[in-house]
Amino acid sequence: MSTPRRLTAAAFVAAGILAAGCGSTAPAARLPGGAAAPSVPPPLATSLASADATWAVVVMGGSAAQHENFWQLFARPAGSGTWRLVTPPGTPDNGGLVLAGTAGQSLITGFRPSQDLTFSPLIATVDDGSNWSQSGVLDTGLADVPDALAAAPGTGRLLALLAGGAAELGGSGGTAWTTLATQRSLGASPAGRACGLGSLTAAAFSPAGVPTLAGACGRPGTAGIFAYAGGAWHAAGPALPSSLARQPVEVLRLTRTGTGIVALLAAGTGPAASMLAAWTGDGGSHWTLSPLLRLDGRRLLSASFGAGGAVAIVLNGSHGVTLAGPGSSWQPLPALPPGTATLALGPGGWFDALAVHVTKLTDWRLAPASRAWHDAQAINVPVQFGSSS
Amino acid sequence: MNSGLDLYDPVVVAAFKSVLVHQGLIALLIFVTLALAWVSIREWLPAARDGRAASSGAQGPAEPGWRQLLRIGFGLLWVFDGILQAQPAMAVGLPSKVIEPVAATSPGWVQHLVNWAGTTWSYHPMQAGASAVWIQVGIGIWLLVAPRGAWSRLAGLASVGWGLVVWVFGEAFGGIFAPGLTWLFGAPGGVLIYVAAGALIALPERAWRSPRLGRLILAGLGVFFAGMAVLQAWPGRGFWQGTLHGKAGTLTGMAQSMAATPQPRFLASWVAAFGSFNAAHGFAVNLFAVVVLAVLGGVFLTGQPRLIRPAVIATVVLCLADWVLIEDLGFLGGLGTDPNSMIPMALLVAAGYLALARVPAAVTQPAGDTAAAAAPDPGPAGHIRPGWRDRVRPAALRRSAAAASIQSVASLGAVGVIILGAAPMAAAQASPVADTILAQSIDGSSTPLNYPAPPFTLTSQHGTQVSLASLRGKVVLLTPLDDTCSVDCPLIAQEFRQAGQLLSGDSRRVELVAINNNPIDTQLAYIQAFDRQEGLASVPNWLYLTGSAAQLEQVYRRYGLPMEVLPAGAMIGHGDYAFVIDQAGHMRQELDFDPGPGTAATKSSFAAELADAAQQLLSSP
Repeated sequence: MSTPRRLTAAAFVAAGILAAGCGSTAPAARLPGGAAAPSVPPPLATSLASADATWAVVVMGGSAAQHENFWQLFARPAGSGTWRLVTPPGTPDNGGLVLAGTAGQSLITGFRPSQDLTFSPLIATVDDGSNWSQSGVLDTGLADVPDALAAAPGTGRLLALLAGGAAELGGSGGTAWTTLATQRSLGASPAGRACGLGSLTAAAFSPAGVPTLAGACGRPGTAGIFAYAGGAWHAAGPALPSSLARQPVEVLRLTRTGTGIVALLAAGTGPAASMLAAWTGDGGSHWTLSPLLRLDGRRLLSASFGAGGAVAIVLNGSHGVTLAGPGSSWQPLPALPPGTATLALGPGGWFDALAVHVTKLTDWRLAPASRAWHDAQAINVPVQFGSSS
Repeated sequence: MNSGLDLYDPVVVAAFKSVLVHQGLIALLIFVTLALAWVSIREWLPAARDGRAASSGAQGPAEPGWRQLLRIGFGLLWVFDGILQAQPAMAVGLPSKVIEPVAATSPGWVQHLVNWAGTTWSYHPMQAGASAVWIQVGIGIWLLVAPRGAWSRLAGLASVGWGLVVWVFGEAFGGIFAPGLTWLFGAPGGVLIYVAAGALIALPERAWRSPRLGRLILAGLGVFFAGMAVLQAWPGRGFWQGTLHGKAGTLTGMAQSMAATPQPRFLASWVAAFGSFNAAHGFAVNLFAVVVLAVLGGVFLTGQPRLIRPAVIATVVLCLADWVLIEDLGFLGGLGTDPNSMIPMALLVAAGYLALARVPAAVTQPAGDTAAAAAPDPGPAGHIRPGWRDRVRPAALRRSAAAASIQSVASLGAVGVIILGAAPMAAAQASPVADTILAQSIDGSSTPLNYPAPPFTLTSQHGTQVSLASLRGKVVLLTPLDDTCSVDCPLIAQEFRQAGQLLSGDSRRVELVAINNNPIDTQLAYIQAFDRQEGLASVPNWLYLTGSAAQLEQVYRRYGLPMEVLPAGAMIGHGDYAFVIDQAGHMRQELDFDPGPGTAATKSSFAAELADAAQQLLSSP
């Protein structure tokens, strides 16, 4: 690289850091045991809290063949301790389900395409999944990431991250989609160049309704979060601690929770990989960083978020770790029950570990301060094997 | 290239047998007709017949032993290969089970070329399967019945031509571009030896008269064997190890694979025993192979008859051992196309030896004939040979026919058999549309119907109201399609789109209509997205109709369409059907329309079935 280009790049990095605001961090937490494994994008299994319910998506069926995997949506209405199956009928979901909560009482679900279907239908519910209505369609399928769909608070506008790497903005009914950015166009913007954008991994709206995209940066130590304002993309990620200055960083999740955005970032590769969460309440001007969580080679299986910015992640090896919210530190959970697909945060500080065995979902509950999971509920799901073959 | 059908699909097998029987009868008829015509003309023109008989004693030297061996040996091999092509599984199985696996390890351009041929075959399995039978039987017969002269040389050239076709498209160049090439497995492809033999048979008679030809054949074989020895000795190809990291080495793996082929038990046990022996003594076996190939190559290059004779015997023994223990005879298992390379190789080596050691004696001619021999052939009866215009006059043709030998007539019959196989395949090749038998084998044929089709009024993808009555005057090809279905429906949509293309000239008189078979995903946006997905949005005579759940369910009931809303992320349960409705609104056919494996061949076949049904109605009064 020539000297002028180095200077330019350095200027972009500096600008990015300035734009990202300031952050705080604490020494890394470590998990016991573990072997080398690189960080990989999170699977679609997740849970999220909306005003009227907590929602969880898991895959059931237990087959290696995609067409025998059936993604299921469960809802636990606010004030209830019981989950129920609310998977929308009529549309095959072998490719996966992607959720977008709105500020109101509705949830929008996007179907990732599978087999010969290449578009993504969107459907919405306003009654905790009892009834669903069609809410538009995306000609190109949603990306295979849990934050591929976002709904703006207030306006209900939709932001979709597509399989081809484009981000599209649509009206509240899932119509009139326009391309907001592509991986290439964002990567060519000053903010994208400063990051060395490699891929887009998540989409969200800020509390103010600003479209925000996230991805993996080729430039070490840079968090690739971008906000679209004034007709241009601006770097909006947090400044990362100096210990990550030489580490590649990827935004695994980017989700609006309550009045802010929470991001989950992976840094480094192999046994040195670590993870941290970041919260912002102002669209990215100021961030609060969690301590680093050393993965010790463990692999992320699911990340879930609670209404107040709480984070709960599932790692392979029956490991579960949580963050209560901004300013908190990682807390390990007791060994997760076998087959835990995702965690859901409950009111009053309890956790639900949703474990899957072929067609049976078991809700294992952990009361506050308890060290043992207890079997709270089991749901047998009528999976229709062979229906998509 | 895969048609996706079962190898022994009864509909295809029955049709294949039927085609073979019909064409076999025609082949028989060709020979009988030619024989009768020949006998009749000879009786009609005895002078021409007798003139020919008198001049036949003045033909050149007798066919040498090496040529006789090649001609008869490869003639029998071609006939045998043709018979193997008549095995029931060949029509469906050859592209996917023989051609595609052979090419799988070759470079992309080889696979592309071979897949093109395989796809062509899978579109027309009857014609292709039968053509391979008759072309090979025809070439074999031709070689067997034409011992000398132009007919015989042409038979050699036919063997070269068809052999090259098979070598390129059927054997993927004998695997010479793929890793793992070895003489032990059949490199450079058995049929390339057929090609070499055909080329030798096609040589002019003057090439027969000197041992130089034999030396050249053996020298060529010497270079080949030496090259194969080097290849066999090359490290890192898995031949030096009987087992490698607990897995079978290359040769052991081949033997184990061949032993698993359906075959007589004793043969499988021999091959398996050799595999076990090689697993234990892989290095020694490969060393033996390398040394033997190198020694044979060296001996053949010396051209010394006293060394070559035992080398030829050793080669033949080695070929037979390889043929039994490694190639496992080559033709078993229901999809064997030939006895692989070792028998042709043994024939070629033996022929080379005969050409070197048994040169035919020169024909002694009277002294006065020397000048005549150097002059242009005056033809029978000492006349100057007439020009071609004179030779094609009816009278001249009759004379020629009467004077023709039985071998010439039989050769003509063999050419007829080759044409019998090649012509239908060439005609099929000209059509890019697959045979409808593929569709019929999946779903069977429909029974003709004639009753008023149930009425409906629904909303099109354009938002307009469409009723069946509004389509009166057109043939309607109707199918239920679930707009968010992820498997069969997109295939059926493609079949309808292709049918529309086949009907291009009649598209204004045919309406392609789908009714949404999903009472939940009823939104126009969904069916429009489906149309865009399938490239149907710009098809002018395509209508995709939807409506409220109640409207749609009424249509399902009227048409007897099963539909079940399945829970837990499953798509709607439905059947696959197509209805053919005539211009008066009468139901004329109800087709089971499960698209099966959805290969290019089956999609084309279903499209052809639809287009045929529409065209029948359009052409009926």
